Amino acid sequence: MAKLPTDISDLVKQFGPSLHRVPPGGWADTREDDKLVKTHCCFCGQQCGIQLRVQNNKVVGFEPWEDWPFNRGKLCPKGIKRYMQDEHPDRLKSPLARVEGKGFEPIGWDAALDRVVSEIKRIQERYGKDSFAFLTGASLTNEKAYLMGKFARVALQTANIDYNGRLCMVSSATASKKVFGIDRSGNPWSDIVAADVILVAGANISECAPITTDYIWRARDRGAKLIVTDPRMTPIARNADLYIPVRPGGDIGVFNGMLHVMIKRGWIDREYIAQHTTGFEEVARAVEKYTPEFAAKIAGVPSEMIIRAAELFGPAKTSFVLHAKGIEHHSKGVENCIAVMSLVLASGRLGREGCGYAMITGQGNGQGAREQGGKCDQLPGNRDISNPEHRKYIAGVWGVPEESLPQKGLSAIPLVEAIHEGRIKGLISICFNPVVSLPDANFTREAFDKLEFYTNIDFFLSETSRYADIVLAGSLMEEDEGTTTNTEGRVIRHRKVVSPPEGAWEDWKIICEIARRLGHGDKFNYSGPREIFDELRVASKGGVSDYFGMTWDKIEKNNGICWPCPTLDHPGTPRLYEGGKFGHPDGKAHFIPVEWRPSAEMPDAEYPIILTTGRVVAHFLSGTQTRRIGALMDQAPEPFCELHPVLAEKLGIIDDDYVKVESRRGSVVVHARVVKTIRPDTVFIPYHWPLDRSANNLTIRALDPQSLIPEYKVCAVRVFKTDAPDDAIASLEVQAGGIR
Amino acid sequence: MKNAEFFIDYSRCIGCEACVQACGECDTHRGVSMIHLETIARRESVQTAPQICMHCEDPICAQVCPADAIKKTPDGVVQSSLKPRCIGCSNCVMSCPFGVPKYQIDIDQMMKCDMCYDRSSVGKKPMCATVCPSGALTYTTMQDIQRTRRGIPINEWKFGGEVVHTKVYVMVPPEVERVDINLVQIANTDAALPRDPYDVALMLENA
Amino acid sequence: MKKDIRNIARASGSDTMHATTWGLLATAALIGGILVGSRGLRYFDPALVSYAGATLFAAFGLGYRFSMWLRRPPTRLYWFRGWEIFLQPHRFFGNLAHLFEIVWSNIVLQRFIGRRSRMRWTAHWFLAWGCLMAAAITFPLSFGWLHFETLRSSQQIYRAFLFGIPIVQFPVHSIVAELMFNALDIAAVMVLIGVFAALWRRGRDHGAMAVQQFADDLMPLILLFAISITGLFLTASTHLMQGLHYTFLSQLHAITVIITLLYLPFGKFFHIFQRPAQLGVDFYKRAGVEGEQAVCIRCGSMYGSRMHMDDLKRVQAALNINYQLANDTHYQDVCPPCRRKNLALIQDNMWKSTASES
Repeated sequence: MAKLPTDISDLVKQFGPSLHRVPPGGWADTREDDKLVKTHCCFCGQQCGIQLRVQNNKVVGFEPWEDWPFNRGKLCPKGIKRYMQDEHPDRLKSPLARVEGKGFEPIGWDAALDRVVSEIKRIQERYGKDSFAFLTGASLTNEKAYLMGKFARVALQTANIDYNGRLCMVSSATASKKVFGIDRSGNPWSDIVAADVILVAGANISECAPITTDYIWRARDRGAKLIVTDPRMTPIARNADLYIPVRPGGDIGVFNGMLHVMIKRGWIDREYIAQHTTGFEEVARAVEKYTPEFAAKIAGVPSEMIIRAAELFGPAKTSFVLHAKGIEHHSKGVENCIAVMSLVLASGRLGREGCGYAMITGQGNGQGAREQGGKCDQLPGNRDISNPEHRKYIAGVWGVPEESLPQKGLSAIPLVEAIHEGRIKGLISICFNPVVSLPDANFTREAFDKLEFYTNIDFFLSETSRYADIVLAGSLMEEDEGTTTNTEGRVIRHRKVVSPPEGAWEDWKIICEIARRLGHGDKFNYSGPREIFDELRVASKGGVSDYFGMTWDKIEKNNGICWPCPTLDHPGTPRLYEGGKFGHPDGKAHFIPVEWRPSAEMPDAEYPIILTTGRVVAHFLSGTQTRRIGALMDQAPEPFCELHPVLAEKLGIIDDDYVKVESRRGSVVVHARVVKTIRPDTVFIPYHWPLDRSANNLTIRALDPQSLIPEYKVCAVRVFKTDAPDDAIASLEVQAGGIR
Repeated sequence: MKNAEFFIDYSRCIGCEACVQACGECDTHRGVSMIHLETIARRESVQTAPQICMHCEDPICAQVCPADAIKKTPDGVVQSSLKPRCIGCSNCVMSCPFGVPKYQIDIDQMMKCDMCYDRSSVGKKPMCATVCPSGALTYTTMQDIQRTRRGIPINEWKFGGEVVHTKVYVMVPPEVERVDINLVQIANTDAALPRDPYDVALMLENA
Repeated sequence: MKKDIRNIARASGSDTMHATTWGLLATAALIGGILVGSRGLRYFDPALVSYAGATLFAAFGLGYRFSMWLRRPPTRLYWFRGWEIFLQPHRFFGNLAHLFEIVWSNIVLQRFIGRRSRMRWTAHWFLAWGCLMAAAITFPLSFGWLHFETLRSSQQIYRAFLFGIPIVQFPVHSIVAELMFNALDIAAVMVLIGVFAALWRRGRDHGAMAVQQFADDLMPLILLFAISITGLFLTASTHLMQGLHYTFLSQLHAITVIITLLYLPFGKFFHIFQRPAQLGVDFYKRAGVEGEQAVCIRCGSMYGSRMHMDDLKRVQAALNINYQLANDTHYQDVCPPCRRKNLALIQDNMWKSTASES
């Protein structure tokens, strides 16, 4: 019964999103803080240090934390205003039960949990264990992520657990494992500063990882050159030394073309290649045909740009490559990453100061969440769920027979497809808002309509929670404690700032209680997250991401510790691959040849324009949190469609017109933003808004065959001018999906 | 931070508005942001720029104030208007060469950046310069800026015939001695530069 | 503007001479007022002579300071423009109505302060009306303008005289009498409420604590506190302690009042005289909205009144601020947002020029 219980406007009226603007006690009040708690921003994988001001167990304000080495007090607007999610009027303070025709009504915890457990049992008895699935998230702490993985495998005993990191990091993770043998950024961010040339490939750093701007400028102040590839001229691209406006999906053209030139001109490190890598000859053969002219056709840019990029990157003494979703959100996302990694390997510039590469994590704990077992094919410690040795070890830690551990399950998109096909009947989710964040949103909504039972743990009633039968009131990041692993692979400590409001529970308590009621209480008998972490350490011991040598106290004392950290006296490993030692059994890095191929849906006569999607600086992911913060909504109230004046003129569109953007899967109506800073064959819409304002109504459910990441960055659309919409959705407040 | 100065480098701004959001968090402003963040011309480029009070040595805002409402502290910080005096006439708003003071219609008063006096007067950094992730706004010592930046800090400006010295420095390429505003630029008028430097379509023309 | 030979923002002659003259005039006018109002000192109370003397000094100071202040180009311009606009025949009655409105809302109710913060309003309203009430009683008393006598026919009836003319009479034991004779105590209590509210705010408000200065912000509160508390002691001494230490207390009270009077022209209290003088700005702004608007030469948007921009050019000329640009353009004709954008463009281009060279 997972259809919406009542009209969306009724639900919005009752549960928001509404805007929170003024801290408790008001601006004019004179605030004497009870305490100032050092913790981290939850909005992105950089995990900047912040301090929260607390008064009477309420978060009343914010203060920069200048001693935290990663961001030294620097922040983006999200980090500053994130405290406005505390004391929010929309906050869920009790479990809710769906009431047909009415919406939701508060119920007691006992009744709610009984209902959840009896539905899990009913569905699993009737349709099999795997018919009840679990979707979890990458913004949870390591402790929670670990618990979710264990809960799915031990208590639910379902193979079908996956996480929203599937929408984020999996391409780079897969590529990194294949090429280097380890899934992690190779270097700490401090190495960016020491680089002579920086290649930013498909990363809108100024909006999605703003703090990294500081590192790049510190390098540029030393004289470093900056190369940026992006279909849109982003703020850091504006004054880069070289900006390459690559066609969405044409990245391999740039990378293979650059490698071609570098080989031709002798700007590769043959000695390094010989000693520390395998497979270079195949790659060299593969890029042979990627002459600048050929490569330029694929990339959709002038060939001089590719030559110039090679000239800047090739002969440099030190270099750093940063990449993100711009090359990863593709049906060839893994190959895109491999191609850029080949550049790094061929230059021999990695594993030392100022030399290396990093993948920028989008989600709060994108790195950690996949290591601890939120991913359908992984067990804690980055272990492989289909590897008998790995299974045995984890089964031992958990005290369950190895045979009882499920095998690899479905990843996020196939999981939702299985719901749509009726193969999965029940779902529990946490920290995931799929009806906004998954591609092809109309399909996702249809799938949720078909669930027999859906329960969701959340602190606000997200767009997806509206489909739930039971909503369990969970906790915000600052209402619980634990660790996350930031984009550098650095494990850091999140302190408990306040306790959850009366009626809401810490997430781990909810999960443990469900497990207990399912009859697995003995395996989930924790006194708190610290105990979960201690078990996680053991579970990760001997794995690739080894946390065994870390304790919370040690993490705090050292301002975070980078894995692997195998023993208690080990200082951690900020920089990987030192001395050319890689993660593969042969100790070498593996060159892998990649060929460009078209994206799943290329523009054609019917849908002639490429749509690419992304973020704005004021919002985080599906916007459940940031669309509730007044100051951030003021900064970015609505989505928009960026298009070039050349294209706009062809379509008869002027700035601020209402435009309808349509793909084979759906449409949105948004305002046009006519700008010269985007390719004329491409339009851009940010994806943080729901319903008729959701860019994911348009995007395609095409997946990378290796990483199973969806192709958010390329699909075919048409755009035309339209009238101001006046339907019920359009007249909602903008944070709920309306338009003004 | 002892002997710290404020340095501004418009060209680095990424338009994230962290400064705007942080400004309102300061106890001397409380929910009202005093900093300006300009989007220069969004159709043409993504260029944005912050503007804080430059804290002139001889502030024109104070000179044109009919109510003696704008005062400078002994350490050279030009304060927001004195509430008992300010009459909301906007002389300062319209005369400031940097376009800094803001007329707050709800309280019929001028308010402006005071370098977060509650913070900077006790050795803390102003909010905006603490959070700015691009280095467009920096609060540090002169030695530190000279050591770490490729440009030089200057604090002399000329608006038509008016020479203005400011407490806040601007980062410029070496050898520039003064920022001279003798002609208001509608767009880029420097002949050495491409006419439309941020037009992606022009960049792709010979693709 | 070039035709404008005489710049009204620019005052001629020596500042000190003018100010001294106005100071002396104010003092002379007050002396005249005292002589006439007390009917040739017939009703002047010699016991209050020190108060009257301090007031005369304050009058000189205020006249001097006021004149000095009005000679500053921006003040001078608004002063003349304000009267000019106020007295325009076609606006006059409208202006009069508006004057009543803003006096009521800005001075009587002080609504504009309430919009800044409620605590600030509470403090200021009690301070302001406590002081004004006290002043309305003590000044006429010390000048001999106001005195009380019992009726010859009945010791039970009091009669109040203003300028020697009987204006009202009331029984000694009536509520009116109680209010009348305790008015200064009521005023003192109001002032004390205001002082404590202000100190409470200043002691807790982080923002206020950062910017407040002793001489400007705390000194006036201390003075008002001293006057009020010594005044209340006098009442207490009379009614509760059979006149204990009365002479000493009355001298102490006199000293606090005299110090405050001497401080009047120089410190924070001067705003009491400045603020009403600047009601004219309100009329100026209204006239500006109705008149021609200034259009920015860079972006073409309206950003204020033409009159304001032209007057600012006059003020700047009087202050020797030279905003004349090349090409016969003037920086005053660029709107503030365009000034900011222009600066950013110029600085950004400096960097681009160096980048294209390298």
